[in-house]
Amino acid sequence: MSRPTRRTARPAGAGRGVAAAVLALTAVLGVAGCATGIAASTPASNGQSFVAGSPGTTVFKSGTGPVAPSVSGPVVGGGRLALTAYRGHVVVLNFWGSWCTPCREEAPDLSALATHFKASGVRFLGIDIRDSPASAEAFMNDFRITYPSLNDPSDNLALDFRNTVPPAGIPTTLVISRSGRISARVIGGATYNGLKSLIQRAAAEPA
Amino acid sequence: MPDNQGLSHLSDHFLIVAVVLYSLAVIAFAADFAFGRRSPVVTRAKAEVPDLVPAGVAAGGVEDGAAESGTAHDAAGPDASGVGPASTRPGSTRPDSTGPGSTGPGSTGPGSKGPGSTAVARLGGQGRQPAVPVSRLVGIALTLTTAGLALHIAGVITRGLAVHRVPWGDMYEFVISVSCVAVLFFIGLMIKYRPYHLGLFFMAPIVIIMGLAQTVIYTPAGPLVPALNSYWLAIHVTAMTLASGTFMVGAVLAVVYLFAERHTRRVAAGLSTRYGEVFRLLPSAERLDQIAYRTVVFAFPIWTFGIMAGAIWADQAWGRYWGWDPTETWAFITWVVYACFLHARVTAGWRGRRAAYIQLVGFGCLLFNLLGVSLFITGLHSYAGLS
Amino acid sequence: MTGLRVPPGQAGSARPDEAAAPGGPSGPAGSPSSFGLAGWARWGWRQLTSMRTALVLLFLLAVGSVPGSLLPQQGIDPAAVQQYYVSHPALAPWLARLSLFNVFAAPWFAAIYLLLFLSLAGCVVPRSIRLARSARTPPPPAPRNLARLPQSARHESTLEPAAALDAAAGVLRRRKFRLRTGDGWVSAEKGYRRELGNLVFHLALLALLCSVALGGLFGYKANRLLVSGTSFANTVTALDEFHPGRLVSSSDLQPFTMTLNRFAASYVTSGPSRGQPLSFNAYVSYSAQPGGAVRHDNLRVNHPINVDGVRVFIIGHGYAPVFRVTDGTGKVVFDQPVPFIAVNTSGLTSTGVVKVPDAHPDQLGFAGVFLPTAVDVNGQLESAFPAPLDPRVSLVSYKGNLGMDSGPPQSVYTLNTAGLTQLPVAPRPLAVGQSIKLPGGAGTLTFTGYRQWISLAITYDPGQLPALIAGLAALAGLLLSFFVRRRRVFVRAYPGPDGRTVVDVGGLARSDPAGGFDEEFTGLARALEKASRGSSTDIPSLTSTTEGKSH
Repeated sequence: MSRPTRRTARPAGAGRGVAAAVLALTAVLGVAGCATGIAASTPASNGQSFVAGSPGTTVFKSGTGPVAPSVSGPVVGGGRLALTAYRGHVVVLNFWGSWCTPCREEAPDLSALATHFKASGVRFLGIDIRDSPASAEAFMNDFRITYPSLNDPSDNLALDFRNTVPPAGIPTTLVISRSGRISARVIGGATYNGLKSLIQRAAAEPA
Repeated sequence: MPDNQGLSHLSDHFLIVAVVLYSLAVIAFAADFAFGRRSPVVTRAKAEVPDLVPAGVAAGGVEDGAAESGTAHDAAGPDASGVGPASTRPGSTRPDSTGPGSTGPGSTGPGSKGPGSTAVARLGGQGRQPAVPVSRLVGIALTLTTAGLALHIAGVITRGLAVHRVPWGDMYEFVISVSCVAVLFFIGLMIKYRPYHLGLFFMAPIVIIMGLAQTVIYTPAGPLVPALNSYWLAIHVTAMTLASGTFMVGAVLAVVYLFAERHTRRVAAGLSTRYGEVFRLLPSAERLDQIAYRTVVFAFPIWTFGIMAGAIWADQAWGRYWGWDPTETWAFITWVVYACFLHARVTAGWRGRRAAYIQLVGFGCLLFNLLGVSLFITGLHSYAGLS
Repeated sequence: MTGLRVPPGQAGSARPDEAAAPGGPSGPAGSPSSFGLAGWARWGWRQLTSMRTALVLLFLLAVGSVPGSLLPQQGIDPAAVQQYYVSHPALAPWLARLSLFNVFAAPWFAAIYLLLFLSLAGCVVPRSIRLARSARTPPPPAPRNLARLPQSARHESTLEPAAALDAAAGVLRRRKFRLRTGDGWVSAEKGYRRELGNLVFHLALLALLCSVALGGLFGYKANRLLVSGTSFANTVTALDEFHPGRLVSSSDLQPFTMTLNRFAASYVTSGPSRGQPLSFNAYVSYSAQPGGAVRHDNLRVNHPINVDGVRVFIIGHGYAPVFRVTDGTGKVVFDQPVPFIAVNTSGLTSTGVVKVPDAHPDQLGFAGVFLPTAVDVNGQLESAFPAPLDPRVSLVSYKGNLGMDSGPPQSVYTLNTAGLTQLPVAPRPLAVGQSIKLPGGAGTLTFTGYRQWISLAITYDPGQLPALIAGLAALAGLLLSFFVRRRRVFVRAYPGPDGRTVVDVGGLARSDPAGGFDEEFTGLARALEKASRGSSTDIPSLTSTTEGKSH
């Protein structure tokens, strides 16, 4: 129902409305850029079949790290092993898979560090994710890994860590001090020197 | 469960015959424009509802509106206030304003108040619906349309029986159902408002759509893929079907409104116009606008509900209620555009033509959602059934 | 409603319209030079909360969503985004700079809807307060001359004025009007629920946005491919994909475990839809905590399992042939199922690769197809039916460097043949139990069997229920605001010239974009007239005038 008397007021107003909207938009843009949380950023599917996690090292102050849970499970190659068997030693716990490229990349460093620290009583233990025993053994032979690994096809061991410092992707390496507390966590491939200094730091902590 | 091929073929036959009947109806409507001889056929006092045609119904209109006790807010207002006293409304000064063929248009001016008031004064009896100029061809066309609709409904039902589920599981079925709803709505409009001469503009697109459905996007009856096998199909797609059919009716009205409004403007400005006779038979521009608005008001909540039902279903099937899937996005865009339309309608200066344009943009988005997205963009929603 | 004085403070229809428009923003009146910062702020705020701005922002929201549906989006199909980069190398980086590959998380999109909701909130909250106040105010007194109203009618009655007014009040009360009586007049109003519905609708939209934000902050989505006979736990290391909300850390995941015992799919066996899937049934066992009670269920499409507030959906399935690989030294270096991905739906022909990085002396790789129902069509191998009626595997063998020992992580579904040499093996599709003997003593591969896998979507969204409630409230508010109309009716009764009482009735619709008040008023006038007829049997005359226009 048209009303001729009103029509004249409109044209200027419409332009004003648009201008106001645009002005306000540009002003809010900066704020909104920080504020959006509706669609979270993701490492999206790329066929990798695992979550790599954002790489980084978390270090806990001496005596403040969470207590590592007592995990136990079948060992690759036979037998069973519990983490409590290493109580009193510094333990390096490494979550790996033979199919995972970063894990393969860090494997030689881990093997070398295991040999280096064997004499000082540092124990290395691997937890193998989503591997068949055949592939796990082949990997350990290939990289000459002498320390044992627990086979965790159903992720129960990873689950055991959920309340402490959960492994947030693969590979993840936990350094556990003599008191049984977690001293450091490395997400992503570990480097020889980086992990070495973390082990030495954990070794310096009192039991 | 194996679907019944015999019923499926029967459904196809029903629908083809329905399309043929609709086409004949379209021809009849068109012929009425061209050749129809209009005699004042007095219609039965069936629905004592004042219709859209008349400037002269000021009399019967008010009275019969009263009979409705004002509860049906959808009822056509006595057009007296809309069109009648034409001289006081600059927007509708048409020398040949709609009116019964028997009485001259001039008599439907303010003078109508005279005889009108006498009729109104009598509260008792119910007046006869005044004459509506209608030719035999219109009657034929409406009969054909109704018969076609009956077969159309039969086709939809038999398709549903053939596949043992609600018959809107792929695009072909969806298009057939939407056009069925649109024709149903159109018939309802016919009964209520009697804009007989809008028939051509409604049925022609329907014929085209159904023809395309039968040829281009036809898919044989088949069971649903497991993802669609849920009772939510009935709820979500039914709502979308209803809303789409209604939006289609609104879009046709908007198009006719734009032409009528242009015609009115040109007449008011004293310019020459074509098809003046056609517009004389159609309802006034304001009336068309009003009815179009009402169809959107009817369809918008259904569309909103359909989106919500779709979200609930998506959540049950895929684990998230909104994922910006292309079909979801375009349904959202359609919703937003129609919301624009509703806001525009109450904003001064955006009524009339601009609002009609927005409505058509909204319907365009709906069409793109139905056809463009399903056919050209793949997403979780591509159940068109086409390879 | 030109020419009609509306009481101030009650101006405006169901939505803020341009009642103040003809002068532009009339808030900070005065010349521009007298605008201080506060003046500009106020002007800006008025513009933001005006209907026109809302229209423009709404439209921008719709327009902004368009590229999100036409261009491939990172969150939905990252592979298609990569494909777009490949096919439009010059255009793609520019589109990425404008966030057009991630429209719905883009800052500019967020700016639009945040502004829109700001505008909404700024409009809705004051109106809610006004509604709350006006909810208790009575209707205004009746104007003196009712004939000036858009709708008016007059009739005569044999009752006394006071009695006529009482009768009128009775009629109006029965029609649920709120009444106010005065000396010689009755004023009635109804339809407050319209504004309430309108406000509820817009507030519910705000609540919906908050619910979505809640889910986006604290919820997460994850995917996992599970081969039958294996299990997994809901922890990050076990997931194939993990999309956490902003405030979700890996320790927040509900620690359930799930095992796929058996997967069964049924297909249409005859007719034109032969091969189309009919049903998927995944028989799973799960427990909410490690060591907790184990439950069994059938996971089907459209029937997710709810574990500890997390929902698990089946969104895909496929085949995983089992291979055993012996390397050159005779040791078994690989023995597990390998998920293959289907490339067509008619026969579920699936492709996949087998990587054996720890084989000696050379790493081994295999790529090929799995055909559930293998048939020979003109020398080409195809799968005729998606069920495993005659499963065959056809592989190409490689040896060399798989590229897995360093560098970026590889996809488990593709083989990087850059460092590999293909082995000359006679092409022969393997049936279950058959082997390929690699030349040069490189090893043997045996196709020992096949299993099926399902693809799971794991979602947790704490904002889901609030979103549903907000949506329903919005719908209810919408219906109210559409179908309730605000009406005012006034009745005056006074002694007429011939001794009878003259009753004037006038009415106006506060908001009536759909029209239709005319006949409602007429019906009302008739009812009032009937009520004031008293016991007289003769039919008095009713003259109805419709002056002015209602809108």
